[in-house]
Amino acid sequence: MRFKQALTLAAAVILSTSTAQAQNVQPVEYTLENGMKFLLMPRDEQPNIITAGWIAPVGSANERPGITGVSHLLEHLLFKGTDSIGTSDPELDEQYREQLTEIREKMRAYTLDVQYKRMYAGEIENPWDPANDTDELRAMRAEMTALQDKQAEITIKNEFDSIYTGNGGSGMNAGTSNDFTVFYINIPSNKLELWSWMESDRLLDPSYRELDAERFVVIEERRQRLEATATGKLDEQFDSMFWVASPYNWPVIGWMSDLMAYTEGEIKEYFETYYQPANLTGVIVGDFEVEEAKRLVDSYFGRIPNKRPKAAPLVTHSVPLLGELRFSGECDCQDQVEVRYRSVPHGHPDEPVFDVIADLLNGRTGRLYKSLIEDQAIAALASAGNRSMRYAGSFSFSALPKGGAELSELEAAWYGELDKLKTELVSERELQKVKNQAAADNFRGLQDNSSLFFQLAITEAYGGYDYLNEYPKRIAAVTPEDIQRVAQEYFEEHERAVSYYTRRGGGEIELLTIDDVRASLPEEMAGMMIPQIEAELANLKSETDAEALRAQIEEMDAQAGMVPPQFETAMRFIKQQIQVRIDEIESGNVEGTEGGDQ
Amino acid sequence: MNTMITAACIAGTVLGGAMASAQDIPSHPREIEFEALEFMPPEADEFRHELSNGVPVYMAPSNEFPLVDIRFSFKGGGYLEPDDKAGLSAMTGQMIRTGGSSMMAPSELDEEFDFLASNVTVGVGATSANARVNTLTSNLHRTFELFMDMLRNPRFDDGRLETLRGQALEGLKARDDNGLAIALREFSYLMWGEDHHESRQPTRESLESITTDDLRSFHEKIFHPGNLMIAVTGDFEEQEMLAFLEEQLSGWEVRPEAPDAPAPTHLYKPGVYYYEKEQPQVQVLVGHRSITRDDPNAIEAEIMNQILGGSGFTSRITNSVRTREGLAYTAGSFMQPRVDYPGIFASYFFTKTPTTALATRLVFDEFERIQNEPVTTDELETIQNNLIETFPRNFESKDAMLGIFMNDERTDRPEGYWQSYRDRVRAVTPEMVQKAANEYLHPEDAVILVVGPWEEIRKGNADSEADPNRVATMEEFFSGQATKIPTRDPESLMPIED
Repeated sequence: MRFKQALTLAAAVILSTSTAQAQNVQPVEYTLENGMKFLLMPRDEQPNIITAGWIAPVGSANERPGITGVSHLLEHLLFKGTDSIGTSDPELDEQYREQLTEIREKMRAYTLDVQYKRMYAGEIENPWDPANDTDELRAMRAEMTALQDKQAEITIKNEFDSIYTGNGGSGMNAGTSNDFTVFYINIPSNKLELWSWMESDRLLDPSYRELDAERFVVIEERRQRLEATATGKLDEQFDSMFWVASPYNWPVIGWMSDLMAYTEGEIKEYFETYYQPANLTGVIVGDFEVEEAKRLVDSYFGRIPNKRPKAAPLVTHSVPLLGELRFSGECDCQDQVEVRYRSVPHGHPDEPVFDVIADLLNGRTGRLYKSLIEDQAIAALASAGNRSMRYAGSFSFSALPKGGAELSELEAAWYGELDKLKTELVSERELQKVKNQAAADNFRGLQDNSSLFFQLAITEAYGGYDYLNEYPKRIAAVTPEDIQRVAQEYFEEHERAVSYYTRRGGGEIELLTIDDVRASLPEEMAGMMIPQIEAELANLKSETDAEALRAQIEEMDAQAGMVPPQFETAMRFIKQQIQVRIDEIESGNVEGTEGGDQ
Repeated sequence: MNTMITAACIAGTVLGGAMASAQDIPSHPREIEFEALEFMPPEADEFRHELSNGVPVYMAPSNEFPLVDIRFSFKGGGYLEPDDKAGLSAMTGQMIRTGGSSMMAPSELDEEFDFLASNVTVGVGATSANARVNTLTSNLHRTFELFMDMLRNPRFDDGRLETLRGQALEGLKARDDNGLAIALREFSYLMWGEDHHESRQPTRESLESITTDDLRSFHEKIFHPGNLMIAVTGDFEEQEMLAFLEEQLSGWEVRPEAPDAPAPTHLYKPGVYYYEKEQPQVQVLVGHRSITRDDPNAIEAEIMNQILGGSGFTSRITNSVRTREGLAYTAGSFMQPRVDYPGIFASYFFTKTPTTALATRLVFDEFERIQNEPVTTDELETIQNNLIETFPRNFESKDAMLGIFMNDERTDRPEGYWQSYRDRVRAVTPEMVQKAANEYLHPEDAVILVVGPWEEIRKGNADSEADPNRVATMEEFFSGQATKIPTRDPESLMPIED
């Protein structure tokens, strides 16, 4: 088999610095009359099993304000059945759906008018929350619930899933990203026709059944993934700030307001535009016969019509950062810092260079471990990563401090590493090490059907699967000069975004003590300053005006730039003690001498 | 419609009319006929070899890629830690890997493995330890020599120990940041007791007390051929590999096998428990101890669990809590048997604060229903077919297959288990499922654990506008009695006053 020979050949030269032979992944390409493309990749290493799925090159980047998150909600709704799947009475079901659409539109119009005005007037916080319903809205909601309960009587819950389950399907799922939406499952190798039936059926005529309940499922998913995680909500805002104009500036799952607002019409239009067959690629990997697969996809997927003109390409692209952006927030999380830069989109000639830079920095023999974790011992974890998406990319450094290290020290240490990349050429041996690893990892990534499936599907959605074969060659061709050039060109001070997350009420765990201050001062000064500081702190205990203390902190902040570096710890300590006193006063605990954060 | 049919027909003509036209497409997938799929589970004996020192070696070559993977599996794990050294087992695994060897300092060894592009990992789990090499065939000899020296003569470098300890200590601070992590920890404490190896957690004190002597003596207990089994997959020739392993393992002292893991002695009190945490979504676990792996009714118990909540969208709890009521994104149940003592059954879901009680009620309704009524034949057949049809997946990759063989040998899985598995699944009836539900589900003896703002959870959605059938408060469980789990200091896990 050609595939295998090419791979073996690549291995033979893997440790030489000369031109490395790339892998050659060659699926059978097959395009239907309606334009739907298939990549067929028979493999017999894992007998009896197929991983099959399809991908649409559409994700949150294709959305607009007002419908953010619709790609992801649609992905959920495509498991809700069709006229044939999921209902015992398609005609009655359609009637209910029409009635539901009508009442939903009425509620939406009413909410956007009355409830939004109440929100802007400051009367209520969330116009969509049923707890804020007016009598009229409550009546409409009751009508809607009654209809849904009636529809539920003829709904066969999750029939789509149970058909697959009963036929040996496993790992059925789908995923939505900024740039693509992918649906996949593992099936026994005698079930390719079932897969063709099920997938073409849902592409032909999805029902969007249970839209309203699914909205709440997605809202719970949003809570689970973002709001109930340590850093989720802050990450979302940092991302949003970082991307400025680009449609990557809203979360894939969507803003909460929009999740409540989509109409069935909007969802349907979105589906018909982006999920028409000419826009889709099917991928089948595993134990199957190519001719049989062609026959099946022809008859099943070939029946899906293109209903609308081709989707318009994305217009708004990202604009460069014109200054340093800084973001700080508190969460129930470990203190952490991230420094993020714009890198390049998928397929850009500099993408492999960014990936190699990340490899040089990461791992136990990487530069970050050696420098930040071992030598300077200021970080518990430190890593870098490049993420080249379809239309733009980002490169991040992130780290968690160790012990009492400050986030600013980690940030400074990162700039030190960057300077090295900018001023010194990487040694041949260091570069060869990461190239060797990249080459071996390429094989590792091809061993498993589902991993191969994702690589084929995603690179195809990004512009062409052949990049899978091209990319390793480009990695092998990266030179020390490329690395230096990219470091100099992209990692600029005025084109970065920096985030500091600190633990909510974090002073409690790492409060500075007077001993820390003593240790931070030159000896001759400590003798003089410590008694002074102690006297000032004693005065603090009689102060009861929190506002006056706040003003004091503000004044200190305003002068912070003028404070010599050796006094920084002392200043922080004084500010900390003032804050402690403010907290005491405001919690009514004015007699206390111990600081509290509640 | 017309254009579709035409398109399919044209394509059909091109292919010589061999394909079906759109008219042939069945109206429902149940009408599709499938070719039978022949599959017989592989026999362990056909893959098993033994070295002269008694170490079993399972081998399954395949030369699709120029990679070799050698996995060492040792009996022994967290349960062998001294009581005051929680965290020692994981630390020993990490220190074997990162602490250098007799021939090389830590950074030299790392550098060498990385340059060879060899992935080398060592990990110690609760009951077994693993050491693994994945390397290009061309680099096997060099990599494996370094690997064996590391495994037999770890250096346990002081500097690396301090780095690791520092990382572990930082990690402790984050232990109360994630509601799900808290829920799993506290549920585990309730089920096994705080001192059993299933639930024991490192603390600042235990991590700070670990010395290189502790690492050495723990290493000696586990990492020797008396506890060892080997699995090899990838690009190699069997006889050569056996001779190679024989040579590489020669002179490694075989010591007595590690003892079995001890059973827990802890007894828990059923009831509602809550752990206070300000967060917008509540994590809930409802469960109790369950069965052993080799229980004669384990298959019907598992089928019962799958219908109840263990098979994703096809199961009842997911259907009612997620699909019908939209109360959660994640909802389901699991049955986790153990080999040496009864394991755990639990249902879980994450929902917004006011609907915690309502979702809990829905779960209890499902417990009751599956105990009081036989499941439908449709539900049962779906699960039976799934277990039978996905059965080959257990052996899908050679690596997974050898993993099963090693585990079966170590845990004395009854002979013929896999060969008769599908017949035993097929023989299960609705009555057997109901019997299993009554025998193995004990809602009255369950623990309900919630993590979130308790006062709001307790009140439920009583003051909402929801329809009366969808109003619930926590008062309806265990006569409204609830036990507060004290908030713990994340580093010591000792209760803190608040």
